[in-house]
Amino acid sequence: MTTKNLWQRFIERFTQISIKVGNQIYLRSLRDAFAMIMPLFILAGLGVLINNVFFPLFLKGSLLTNYQTFGNLIVNGTLNIAGLLIAPVVAYCLAQNRNYKNALGTAIVALAGLIVVMPTTIQALPVGTKKLVDISGFLSYSNIGVTGMFAGIIIGLFAAELFIKLSRIEKIKINLGENVPPAVSASFLTLIPTIVVIAILAIISAVLLVVFHTDLIKLITTIIQEPLRRVNTSLPGFLLIYTVGNLLFGFGIHQAVINGTLLDPVLLINTNKNMQAFAAGDHVPYIITSVFRDTFGMMGGTGSTLCLLVVTFIFSRVKASREVTKLSIVPGIFNINEPVIYGYPIVFNIPLLIPFVLTPIISLLIAYSATVLGLMNKTVVLVPWTTPPLLNGFLATGGDWRAIVVQVISFTVGVLFYIPFMKISEAVLAKQR
Amino acid sequence: MSKKTIMLCCAAGMSTSLLVSKMKKSAETLKVDVDIFATAVSGFDQELASRQVDCVMLGPQVSYMADDFKAKLSERNIPLVVISMQDYGLMNGERVLKQALDLLN
Repeated sequence: MTTKNLWQRFIERFTQISIKVGNQIYLRSLRDAFAMIMPLFILAGLGVLINNVFFPLFLKGSLLTNYQTFGNLIVNGTLNIAGLLIAPVVAYCLAQNRNYKNALGTAIVALAGLIVVMPTTIQALPVGTKKLVDISGFLSYSNIGVTGMFAGIIIGLFAAELFIKLSRIEKIKINLGENVPPAVSASFLTLIPTIVVIAILAIISAVLLVVFHTDLIKLITTIIQEPLRRVNTSLPGFLLIYTVGNLLFGFGIHQAVINGTLLDPVLLINTNKNMQAFAAGDHVPYIITSVFRDTFGMMGGTGSTLCLLVVTFIFSRVKASREVTKLSIVPGIFNINEPVIYGYPIVFNIPLLIPFVLTPIISLLIAYSATVLGLMNKTVVLVPWTTPPLLNGFLATGGDWRAIVVQVISFTVGVLFYIPFMKISEAVLAKQR
Repeated sequence: MSKKTIMLCCAAGMSTSLLVSKMKKSAETLKVDVDIFATAVSGFDQELASRQVDCVMLGPQVSYMADDFKAKLSERNIPLVVISMQDYGLMNGERVLKQALDLLN
């Protein structure tokens, strides 16, 4: 009895804390912002796929280079401005989550704020040369692109938060009296907050540039982004966070509460850097990316439940389970598995919670080892998470058929792993009746 | 009674869209004239601002958003419920639709 109480207390506390973390307003705004700009990153993946997998099939030399201009332009409009995109969008989302009406105004201030902290001089490589030169009057893709994503997020949130707070202070609203048309006074409403926010950022930025010869983008990237990214996308860090998220889903709360906030931003940086490197023909840096997780760690949805569906289809004698399986198979092919999680159910079903949490770890370790051993390409293309297994592995690795083999192996291991737990679950169910 | 609109909300708007299609089918058999649509939690504010919504139903996986959404809905007197895990898992369109109709009346 006491162990049961302990278990229940654990579930309650765990869920409460997770929700508190995931629902924290900045993290939530970040999650919303990513949802908004995700289509552009998926488009970048498509561009990279066409440029580096499709075109080389039948084109060569300068003709290939000419054709690849198409994909390069897409990369410019997506990955290369990732930071520039995220700053106003995250500000917009924060304004909405704070119930502040002028969300667009907030986004504009955030965008201006991000540009204000950009370095005034950057290093560039003139076409056809190999020596970097200092130039001024330009923004660099590295500052406003993938590398600058965290800077975009932090500046966006900071500018938005300050702007919203100031806009809500009655005292500093410029009051023009009753005879002034409302539209005119409305245009003054946000004037002081805008001035204050941008001026503060300009002062910080100027001091950093002039006195310390550095800039805010560089500071945020090296002090916040890189350490966080290194820890959370290291093999143990990644598996730990991902497992905690999956466990949460086992208690009925969507894993995005944890994963969408602690993992996705840093995993997405890895994905985007891989895409960029692959597009440029450079060395692809990372094994663990967001698409690596989606492709190998959630076949059929969180917990790789497609394995369970196969197991049930072959071995189950319980009619209800077979019915749920029938209902779940088609959504499952597209990695949507709420019917399995709530209908089978997996939630609060301890025998099934074990493989639900452990199968993704096993699959991810298999895929990780395969990549380290050079048996499979790294993931270089962001494919939507709803892409069916096998196809997603092939596309994500830039058309490497060996990824399909790795997925088949992981899937088979997953099926074997689910078998005993499915049987225990049905035995427990039979006893309860 | 004018035509009512039911909004379903989940993490990405994917699994609720499946439930929506089941609910629509059952609305047809029951001969009730309602609009039903699904959205992601991140699209909640936008949908609410851009169209008439008469009742909101949350997937159990995003039940933690309930309090926050209720606060936003209270000024417009729009009811909100969290769909039960069982109905959601079994994609029981008829029961969820009936629950919504009860809320609307």
